Amino acid sequence: MRFTATIHVRPKAEVRDPQGEAILGALGSLGLGVTSVRTGKEIVVTFDADDEAAARRATDTMGRELLANPVIEDFRVELGTA
Amino acid sequence: MSPRVAILQFPGTWSERDFEHALSLVDAETEILWHTEVDLSGFDAAIVPGGFSYGDHVRAGAIARLSPAIAELKRFAAEGGPVLGSCNGFQILCEAGMLPGALIRNAALEYISDWVRVRVEDDGTPFTEGLKDAVLRMPIGHGEGCFVADPTALERIEQDGLVLFRYGDERGIATGDADPNGSVNNIAGLRNAAGNVVGLMPHPERCAEEILGGTDGLKMLESLVASVGDRSPLRIGSP
Repeated sequence: MRFTATIHVRPKAEVRDPQGEAILGALGSLGLGVTSVRTGKEIVVTFDADDEAAARRATDTMGRELLANPVIEDFRVELGTA
Repeated sequence: MSPRVAILQFPGTWSERDFEHALSLVDAETEILWHTEVDLSGFDAAIVPGGFSYGDHVRAGAIARLSPAIAELKRFAAEGGPVLGSCNGFQILCEAGMLPGALIRNAALEYISDWVRVRVEDDGTPFTEGLKDAVLRMPIGHGEGCFVADPTALERIEQDGLVLFRYGDERGIATGDADPNGSVNNIAGLRNAAGNVVGLMPHPERCAEEILGGTDGLKMLESLVASVGDRSPLRIGSP
């Protein structure tokens, strides 16, 4: 089966996010009452796996081994069929 | 006998020739090894130089970590082999889990090319023999040099004495102004628990000659040569 997964990566809450801090400063100038900004990224992958369980294992490995650094980042996966 | 030092090269590494030259000044034999062809048997030390391995994609050092060179480097380090990572090399060692913590985008989001001072906190590594409390002036050039670790990991790093280099002022005092990139606790470099794996953001290989503005980096390379001499089996029994 062919799957498409969107993997969202974000810095952990206790790790500083310099890009978020810069955006916070910029949004502050718009006067919209923004008090906190956290940034992240999303990676969309298309891949083949036998079934949904195998696809979940695959995306978990992608996240742990490369797409996120568990020391500083968390990730979550949205899985769908292509 | 001069030590044999391996210098790892990934796609995008840019400081391997600088290390080759700087190590020649301390009479070390060097070999630049392409990352898919790394065999460290017969080497006395390994260097992971700076640069932009794999274009810093995903995160600085993240893709290099999956190279076969890293498995070999881990084997070498587990046997006590001295390993030094500078700049991108430090980032790779952290990504590979050979050193704790991680390096993220500089707090000011700018690429920084400058000279900094770091205080050496420990002389129990092959790269800092006789340098405890020395203040070394070295260049930096990086966009992702802000050292971070979660509070628990940071406490352990400090308790275990793994901070090897701290950004400081002329006297080596770790002031806020002396920290160029927002690194937590002014951390500029670390050692592992065994002391044989060392990583730092500054570039010792770029300050090994007066003509380049300083020679403090040479002290680290001289330390390596001296320590390899101490641990070489060939030296056992000789006067």
